[in-house]
Amino acid sequence: MKFLSEYRDADIAKALIARIKAEATRPWTLMEVCGGQTHTIVRQGLDELLDGAVEMIHGPGCPVCVTPLEQIDKALAIAARPDVIFTSFGDMLRVPGSDCDLQQIRARGGDVRIVYSPLDALALAQRTPDKEIVFFAVGFETTAPANAMAVWRARELGVRNFSVLVSHVTVPPAITAIMEAPDNRVQGFLAAGHVCAVMGWTEYEPLAEKYRIPIVVTGFEPVDILEGMLLAVRQLESGRHEVENQYVRSVRRDGTPAARTTVEKVFELGDRKWRGIGEIPMSGLRLRSEFSAYDAERKFGVADLAVDEPAECRAGDVLTGRLKPPKCGAFGTRCTPEHPLGALMVSAEGACAAYYHIGKYRTQETAGAAS
Amino acid sequence: MCLGIPGKVVELRDDNGLAMGVVDFGGVRRECCLAYVQDDVALGDYVIVHVGFAITKVDEAEARRTFEVLKEMGDTAELDWITQVATDSLAMGGDA
Ligand code: SF4
Repeated sequence: MKFLSEYRDADIAKALIARIKAEATRPWTLMEVCGGQTHTIVRQGLDELLDGAVEMIHGPGCPVCVTPLEQIDKALAIAARPDVIFTSFGDMLRVPGSDCDLQQIRARGGDVRIVYSPLDALALAQRTPDKEIVFFAVGFETTAPANAMAVWRARELGVRNFSVLVSHVTVPPAITAIMEAPDNRVQGFLAAGHVCAVMGWTEYEPLAEKYRIPIVVTGFEPVDILEGMLLAVRQLESGRHEVENQYVRSVRRDGTPAARTTVEKVFELGDRKWRGIGEIPMSGLRLRSEFSAYDAERKFGVADLAVDEPAECRAGDVLTGRLKPPKCGAFGTRCTPEHPLGALMVSAEGACAAYYHIGKYRTQETAGAAS
Repeated sequence: MCLGIPGKVVELRDDNGLAMGVVDFGGVRRECCLAYVQDDVALGDYVIVHVGFAITKVDEAEARRTFEVLKEMGDTAELDWITQVATDSLAMGGDA
């Protein structure tokens, strides 16, 4: 319990762990689809504490990690143009493209800026009419309402020097892809509470039914995750397969309807490649044709760029649970958070980075105990 | 960018038809879009903000708890962006 001992809800967590172990009559395999949850699980050692009762497979739940290489390369090509100010959320700057990353483009003189909100990028466009402002619109359902509104407002305000490079992904098609994979081992899902806060969970209901799997909408704190696991284990033990909400405190079945409406006005579903996984049908959002004037791929002629993923990175195997990160040949050697080879090593929410950091904590702790 | 940050709505305003407001995130303040929650939210309420957009209203106890946990997890990268952006090149008339 050495990791949990630092957590102030440690007693509740311990009780939940004991319950899960008592109720699981066999080991169950669950997947969390939220990078924040991956971070908590690995950092708190929850998977080790539940050994024999629950195995957690870390799903493709980090938008930084699943943004396909070719979208990064398109970003790099656009950001290198002298007429462009390229804006992005901070965690995309170090995602490796084929040759370099956005940070290196900046070092070479490209104007690359971190924004907190896509509306910051739009405001920059209004203040800088002699430049093209491009925003890297990435993320799951949590960022889609913001990105949709920025495009909507740009049209409303008649801002013409603003465009978005869209690489949006949605969670339910990823669940389908994982369940349809021939060697799938996942028996239940923890869905991300904050994604459902936007979209609600009606889209999960047919999936739970079709694949006969429990899907538990879960928060990202240790106690949330343990509760989510317990609810999933209970369903599995009693042969149920329902969508259940552990994260009641801020999620409603229909999400945030105003946000969904704007997303649907600006974006439509389209096929999307996931880094390390490949193309998942209808798993992404793209701009509707009425908004094509705001499509950076068209504006800068990069729509047809296609590249292959580096063979050494085994992100696809990690994201589908076939491989734990430390088993990747490059892990911790040719691939580290300082020099990531694959996207899973970039953000704290990537499974490889989560394992790498906890490896460090553990070494430090052992060293501390020994001295 | 996935985990929303809880904050308190301390100012409300209308920007050409778009509901905006200032949200205080444990001392760091910035402007956020309130369009998606405007029917629910009044001055002094707590909201969860994703990349500058309030998505859900929460109560104060929940907001405080989530904020503390995010801090404990060291997962406040977005707060760093907020601070960075506030003082960085995006500030009006800032350097390029
Ligand atoms: S350790 Fe690096 S190279 Fe290996 S799968 Fe993870 S991100 Fe890819």
